[in-house]
Amino acid sequence: MSEAVIPPRALWVPFPLGRPLGAVDDSEFQKNVMRTAFRLLDTAVEPTIEDYELQAPGEGSNENWSCPLNLTPESSGSLTERLLAEVALLRPWAIETRRQRGRTLFGASGAREDQVDELARAFASVAETGDVTSELVVDDVAWAFETPLLLRHIADDLRTFYHEAIAAQPGDTVPDHDALNQWIFGETVLGEALLSVADGLTKASDSPMAQLVRGLLIPEGHYRGGSAFPQQTNFPINQET
Amino acid sequence: MVRLSDLHPVEAEHLAARALAMPAIGPGEWVTPLPLDQATVAIVSTAGLHRRIDPPFTVGSLDYRIIPGDTQFDDLVLSHISANFDRSAFGQDPNIVFPIDRLREFASSGEIGGVARWHYSFMGAMPDPSQFEKAGEEIGRLMAQDGVDIAFLVPI
Repeated sequence: MSEAVIPPRALWVPFPLGRPLGAVDDSEFQKNVMRTAFRLLDTAVEPTIEDYELQAPGEGSNENWSCPLNLTPESSGSLTERLLAEVALLRPWAIETRRQRGRTLFGASGAREDQVDELARAFASVAETGDVTSELVVDDVAWAFETPLLLRHIADDLRTFYHEAIAAQPGDTVPDHDALNQWIFGETVLGEALLSVADGLTKASDSPMAQLVRGLLIPEGHYRGGSAFPQQTNFPINQET
Repeated sequence: MVRLSDLHPVEAEHLAARALAMPAIGPGEWVTPLPLDQATVAIVSTAGLHRRIDPPFTVGSLDYRIIPGDTQFDDLVLSHISANFDRSAFGQDPNIVFPIDRLREFASSGEIGGVARWHYSFMGAMPDPSQFEKAGEEIGRLMAQDGVDIAFLVPI
């Protein structure tokens, strides 16, 4: 993509998406990446893309990661009941991560960080009913988006809660994007709810936005073994914002 | 940017198709900035990063959010619409996406001249990047008025 845009000086890095500086909590590695980019200010005399050759420390060390919690739910409950039970199991760990970091990424949907149960209940209700377009009314939550796009951000907040929960657990191995997706979609009730909501979006075939939101809800490769993005590309785009 | 071979095959196919379809943009005017140890540096992120008080990014957002240089990490969130990147790293260490602490360290050690007062964030993943031209020129003018010599672009 940099070859199409032709930036004046670009450093190509081999790190996973979401990690452009390579390694978390490693200031020297991050600064080495930045210094390498800054050196192009001295060496480049025309548009240049240089490769950064070093791998990030720890990369590839999460192949054996697994969540130590047994999240296998009682199969007899409704999806809502099972999701709320799963959230309850994870809550102490999420609280611990927030305490350690003094911050959270939770809240993109508009919900407060103490409203994860409300989010889980609302999301599970959509998964159970398949109604992905009606307004979601939840007491004391001021949504930042309208449905169906709201569903994508509720999912993001729930995933953030799950990711923050496992971040506090003992062990040196930190799961990456692939490991997190394998866990979410292979072992959790949240993954089941995400796929059910995606199915509801598929059925809302008269809504181009619903079809787009499905592609924004499920990471590539995790929707029924393939892409959640529909083939159609003429989606509603807000050009005014 | 990750290697395509390191991605899920479905995602790799999707990104490769997007790259092939991306319209080419000609190179801009070549500019040689001040020496690094005299230069003021600003971060331009495409991570959909913004303060909690700011409106979130949404589908097709072509605008940007300002991030004051003294913003605390607990005030930053991501509303990027893509599900295909790992937010947990940013959650653990925001510098991996928005390396403001690293810039401050470079300024303290004299490796750069200074850190800009203002930084900027877009939401990437736009099939036609030329649609950012208007906003890009705008923040260029803002950075010039802020005394910025180098824009350090950090894609997500």
